[in-house]
Amino acid sequence: MTELYPSLSQCALVAAALKILLFPAYKSTDFEVHRNWLAITNTLPLWEWYYEKSSEWTLDYPPFFAYFEWIMSQVAKLVDPAMLKVYNLDYESWQTVYFQRFTVIISELVLVYALQMFIDSSHGVSKRAAQTAAISILLSPGLLIIDHIHFQYNGAMYGILIASLVLARKKSTLLWSGLLFAALLCMKHIYLYLAPAYFVFLLRAYCLSPKSLFRIQFLNCVKLAVGIAAIFGTAFGPFALKGQIPQILSRLFPFSRGLCHAYWAPNVWAMYSFLDRALIILAPRLGLTVRDEALHSVTRGLVGDTAFAVLPDITPRVCFALTLLFQAIPLLRLFAQPTWDNFIGAVTLCGYASFLFGWHVHEKAVLLVIIPFSLLALKDRRYLGAFRPLAVAGHVSLFPLLFTPAEFPIKTVYTVFWLVLFLMAFDRLAPASNRPRFFLFDRFSTLYITVSIPLIVYCSLVHGIAFGKSYEFLPLMFTSSYSAVGVVGSWVGFMVVYFTS
Amino acid sequence: MPRPSPAPHKPRRKGNKQPDFATTTGSSHNVGAVETLTRAPAFPLAAFLWPARGTLSQWELLPLILMTVGLFRWAAGLWGYSGFEKPPMFGDYEAQRHWMEITTQLPISQWYFHDLQWWGLDYPPLTAYHSWLCGKVGSLIDPEWFALFSSRGSHDPTLKVFMRATVIVSEYLIYIPAVVVFVRRYSRLNGVANWSSAVALVAILMQPGTILIDHVHFQYNTVMLGLVVASMSSMLAGRNLWAAVFFVAALGFKQMALYYAFSVFAYLLGSCVFPRINIRRLVTIAAVTIVSFAILILPLVIGALSDAKRGVDSRPDLDGPRPPLPIFQGLTTYLDTEAFYYPVVEQLVQMIHRVFPFARGLFEDKVANFWCALNVVVKIKNYPEELLQRGALVATLGSIVPPNLVLFLRPRRDLLPLAFSATAWGFFLFSYQVHEKSVLLPLMPMTLLLAGNHGLNKGTRAWVGFANILGCWTMFPLLERVDLAMPYTVLTLLWAYLLGLPPTSLGAYFHEGGNTWTQWVTLFIHGSFYLAMAFWHVLVRALRPPPDKPDLWVVANVGVGAAGFSLCYVWCLWKLVSQSDILPRSWLVKKEKAKTQ
Repeated sequence: MTELYPSLSQCALVAAALKILLFPAYKSTDFEVHRNWLAITNTLPLWEWYYEKSSEWTLDYPPFFAYFEWIMSQVAKLVDPAMLKVYNLDYESWQTVYFQRFTVIISELVLVYALQMFIDSSHGVSKRAAQTAAISILLSPGLLIIDHIHFQYNGAMYGILIASLVLARKKSTLLWSGLLFAALLCMKHIYLYLAPAYFVFLLRAYCLSPKSLFRIQFLNCVKLAVGIAAIFGTAFGPFALKGQIPQILSRLFPFSRGLCHAYWAPNVWAMYSFLDRALIILAPRLGLTVRDEALHSVTRGLVGDTAFAVLPDITPRVCFALTLLFQAIPLLRLFAQPTWDNFIGAVTLCGYASFLFGWHVHEKAVLLVIIPFSLLALKDRRYLGAFRPLAVAGHVSLFPLLFTPAEFPIKTVYTVFWLVLFLMAFDRLAPASNRPRFFLFDRFSTLYITVSIPLIVYCSLVHGIAFGKSYEFLPLMFTSSYSAVGVVGSWVGFMVVYFTS
Repeated sequence: MPRPSPAPHKPRRKGNKQPDFATTTGSSHNVGAVETLTRAPAFPLAAFLWPARGTLSQWELLPLILMTVGLFRWAAGLWGYSGFEKPPMFGDYEAQRHWMEITTQLPISQWYFHDLQWWGLDYPPLTAYHSWLCGKVGSLIDPEWFALFSSRGSHDPTLKVFMRATVIVSEYLIYIPAVVVFVRRYSRLNGVANWSSAVALVAILMQPGTILIDHVHFQYNTVMLGLVVASMSSMLAGRNLWAAVFFVAALGFKQMALYYAFSVFAYLLGSCVFPRINIRRLVTIAAVTIVSFAILILPLVIGALSDAKRGVDSRPDLDGPRPPLPIFQGLTTYLDTEAFYYPVVEQLVQMIHRVFPFARGLFEDKVANFWCALNVVVKIKNYPEELLQRGALVATLGSIVPPNLVLFLRPRRDLLPLAFSATAWGFFLFSYQVHEKSVLLPLMPMTLLLAGNHGLNKGTRAWVGFANILGCWTMFPLLERVDLAMPYTVLTLLWAYLLGLPPTSLGAYFHEGGNTWTQWVTLFIHGSFYLAMAFWHVLVRALRPPPDKPDLWVVANVGVGAAGFSLCYVWCLWKLVSQSDILPRSWLVKKEKAKTQ
């Protein structure tokens, strides 16, 4: 068993061909967002980056990402200088499209490299499983839809995350794992959601002695602290000197936004909203009061405050508390047994908790769960059982991101292709567990996957024919409620597996 | 060898059999000891299907293959089409759209007469019926797309999605099933294993030429090609009558299928004569052919008759007496122009006149065929038209008689793809009125060779790959005109990469156990062509042609292309002759020596 086929680089190459063919596809406002950031970082001095607001798409990523944009803008200058004009709003010459789309493909090499690290870090029987899992991440429909059609740079970010997770596998590279994660936080702050797992793991496995909780490894603590301070200093230092930190923070954490995003991310709040909608109909019979002002304002594809008609309103504080609570539970176990598998499990569960209970969660954040989970899904069949509904729900919930007819076949066929291929491959590769499996859970996931077919058909075809343009929120609501059931189900399943293995 | 881990708990699938390694790969490559022992895929495409060896049933693999090739087709279709925002005439896309417009909006008798200056219908009736169907469906979505006159040159983005969808649906209904069935039958005939035939299937379906022309540049060639493949596939199954029906349908969709007509005729006739003469078979084939043609034109005939009865004129734009027939004017001396059947005659003559444009020149655009290449040396356009037509006829016949004679004398099923491709190459190189897109016709049967005996072996792979890449390269000027250089680059390089061909790899040229001389000669010939192609691309990008010779680059393309295609013709013919055992063995050995020295 010297080499496994197909290799990661072969897959990356063929996938790149498809991605280049997707250049003319639909692109969301994120394309203009990133073009604007190229322009801001290239033409303005550092001190104005976080103040500039000619475009409504202001810079709201941490400084390392801005530096990354600055580096890219040095090449962009040679391709088409017009794209670097701050006032050139909505500029999209074909050179700009080619350039920006290419940068996504090239920056994804980070992901390829990290996945190769992951494969190389597995040995023996699990190497084949690792290879399959790595290819499944590389070819993930989530990344294809979000990065290569919708437009973002998640591939590179998740590459850094995976590299950091893989580095945590070996005692000798633990420090680098932590530092790499710190750097990642300075690129995209969404990964803060995973930080509790890192904190607990590094604390227990790196800063404290493996033998006793009360023996602190001072040298390690110093190394980690200095390293993290240096990284944050490089990122935020220049801005701190000018006292711009509050401005940056207000850009990074816009708390003025509503509970649910434009489309409902499939989390408990989507189920909550769905329940609220259902209760509006049932309220007169149950004798509940319905708040009239809320009837017409529930997130119908609009960003803004969510008002509930029957159920009590949710405050950011409640979200925050619930998120922390459900993050803390798995972390206790991680603290007790700081193994790598538990670490990945805890990272996944932190992702789950923040995705399910977070404030203003975007459906794209589901990758925060799927990608770490993929590294673990092939551990045994019980893990796979929890992974399956997530894989279906997570990807189906991304469908509303692309709504143009030309991209419809791409998103559906590609996702179905991926699900068929990898669920089949995973099914063959996952070894049996030495613990009994939950009978009902497997039935649940089969039933769940089956329901997705009529759902997609209804949302994409039947609804349009039956209702035309009216009730546009219905398919969105169905999709997110359906996906929410899957994500919550897989979360419960994974919690059980995590605590019983 | 990577193998699935021991079956976990209860195997769901019945018999997750351990693959018998020696038999699967051994028979799959059919190359004896050398590749039986290979433990690594020989080229990337084989690597992608590597995990599927032995363990996956075809019904699990096929949907995945069809989804993958479909994705590449649809993604390629996101790019522009011919004539996109290129007024006044736009391009092939507009032609196809316009036919949907006229067939859905006009009475059937006017189809072949309506405003011939604006993309008048010049394909046989099946295309017209297909357009009618697509137009009807499209009108349900948005009637504006096919409104008479006002829809001309429409570039509504949703219309584009619809048009792309019609291409892909037509292909998945006709070409793809035909190829899947053909590959299965042909592999079985040659004793090739399932896994290898799956590899060949992907290679055939990812063929860059057809994707570029049909799904990017826009046409419905795969419908015609699919019907021809269905016809060949019926021949493989021994269903000669179906072969005739499918071939008539192919001809009825696009007259280009005539490129294969001689081979179909030679094979069907041969199978009636050898090993013993079978008159009944001959008569039934002839009868079925005639009946199929009759059914094909039946709607046109009925339409002409009923329109004439209702008083609908086929040419409402003309006043006064009926114009004479465009061709076969002699007919009118025998026929009564006032008789009830005369509109039918007029209709059919007009259809033939539209479909076979005898009046056009020897070649229109720059095409990589013999005449166009010869024109560089001798200005043959100055010779009288009569002489040129006769010359083309003689040269074409001279090139197609040898392969078809072989097929007639040895009507063997395994020879079909070789004979079809040699004949189509002959037509492409020497016949009249060739279009650069016609190169798809010889490429189709030649690419099908991948599914045959030794098909994925290096020798065949190298030649099939060479022909395909050269074919795409000769279509580059056509694609570049509408800014399609990017999909051209991606799809061609991807295919070359998947099959381990230059410019990505030289792996297809050297294998142990082969004749070293042949390998070196092949590499030298192919290598110089690949270098020429690469150099040409650099030249086109870097330099403008001299002002007095604005077509210089295109002419260079044509010259290299014609030379390469001639080699492909010779290779196909040579393979055909040597595989048919028509020559005594001793001859072959001598010839082979002569060829290598």
